[in-house]
Amino acid sequence: MKNIFELIKRHFVFILFGILFIFSAVVLFSSNRYQRAAFLQQSSDWVGSIFEWRDELQRYLRLKEINDQLALENATLRAQMPDNFFVIDTTVLSKNDTLRMQRYAYRNARVINASVNRESNYLTLDRGIVGGIRPNMGVISNGSVVGVVTSVSDHFSVVLPILNSKFQESVKMKGSGDFGLIAWPPGSDPAYADVKDIPKHVQVNIGDTVLTTGFGSHFPNDLLIGYVSQLNDQPEENFHRIKIQLSTDFRKLSYVQVVSDIFKGQQDSLMKQQQEHDGVDDSH
Amino acid sequence: MASMIPINILRIIFMVFLQALVVSRLQVLDGFVLPWVYIFAILMLPFETPKWMVLLISFVVGYIMDLFSGPMGMHMLACTVLGWLQPMVQRLLSPREGYEVNQEPTIQKQGLRWYLTYAGILTFCHHFVLFFAETLRLSPFFYQLGHILFSAMATVVLMVIGQYLISVQKSRG
Repeated sequence: MKNIFELIKRHFVFILFGILFIFSAVVLFSSNRYQRAAFLQQSSDWVGSIFEWRDELQRYLRLKEINDQLALENATLRAQMPDNFFVIDTTVLSKNDTLRMQRYAYRNARVINASVNRESNYLTLDRGIVGGIRPNMGVISNGSVVGVVTSVSDHFSVVLPILNSKFQESVKMKGSGDFGLIAWPPGSDPAYADVKDIPKHVQVNIGDTVLTTGFGSHFPNDLLIGYVSQLNDQPEENFHRIKIQLSTDFRKLSYVQVVSDIFKGQQDSLMKQQQEHDGVDDSH
Repeated sequence: MASMIPINILRIIFMVFLQALVVSRLQVLDGFVLPWVYIFAILMLPFETPKWMVLLISFVVGYIMDLFSGPMGMHMLACTVLGWLQPMVQRLLSPREGYEVNQEPTIQKQGLRWYLTYAGILTFCHHFVLFFAETLRLSPFFYQLGHILFSAMATVVLMVIGQYLISVQKSRG
């Protein structure tokens, strides 16, 4: 017994190292985005407020750039004002629209922390449950896709951006309307992503526009994702290898809108009902 | 010895904040060069610090750094390895008569060549574990190797410049 204590005493530092090393490795290998969210929730208050403080400073230094961005957005919106249009048929324009219901609601948020050059990137927003943000809401900026909210604390939320290999969304080619999947190769250039699963018989040209499908109900239909910048087709494959330039500049992201689908509950419960009826266990 | 405790705690806090708020935001060559200068606080722990304490301090510093960035556990793992190796490398590089009492591992006390070897070995090991933990694979090999090497070099250069700046301040004041 005495010998064992002697042994432990002599190799105390190495044993301590082993314990800490194994602990860290377990934490690292078991951490997925939910794990990360759990850790974040614990420390979100102080880490979040430190990031917020830094962002405040940084925003001040970037006022001009943000101003330009907002002015551009204002100009785009102003161009869509009814006053700008010459009314051809007065019977068509109606302000009190009972034929349409609002489907998507938008909330403003500020990006207070972001990474673009890691293997899997995340954004932190300065709004959480209190601000009306819930998991699985879409995040857009200047009318183009940014990512999807994965976890929320009271005052902060974490967004899984396109720049993360776990991000999955169906996309379509403008014009032909063919569907594909967007994927970002981990650690690659944050300005580009890949589009998969578009069959070769579909004509794809450089410069073509890639839009959202609105299937996942994270995003409205026809939101801009990017433009085709490269085609690396392999002769032995049946699908195109498309590289697109993302229309969101993740390195300069500061203000975003969070999209919530008002009909999401309806769509999901209907789908579930149908699946239960068919006896299909689809774990999406 | 006791007088060194507050200055080391302050240095740890300062380096972690410097890393999280300033250095991590630098985008050198699209993130190809990513210096992690916060390990300076661990490299500066005095020679007399017990080994287990170096290990525990490194682990805690890694935990705090993890809260600020990336997936949990990355910096914890890299810093644990760093805290284990630090006393070993110090002993490996010790002069024949041992280090003088109350000395710190700085350029001024130990010389530039000693410091470059000391910081070089430890920084490379730390960055290797860190980048390996982040990607969990080494492909494409040469890209990753360059990533690690150039980031480690940037870290060492920043730490050396930082020390010269501090020494200029001290000699003026």
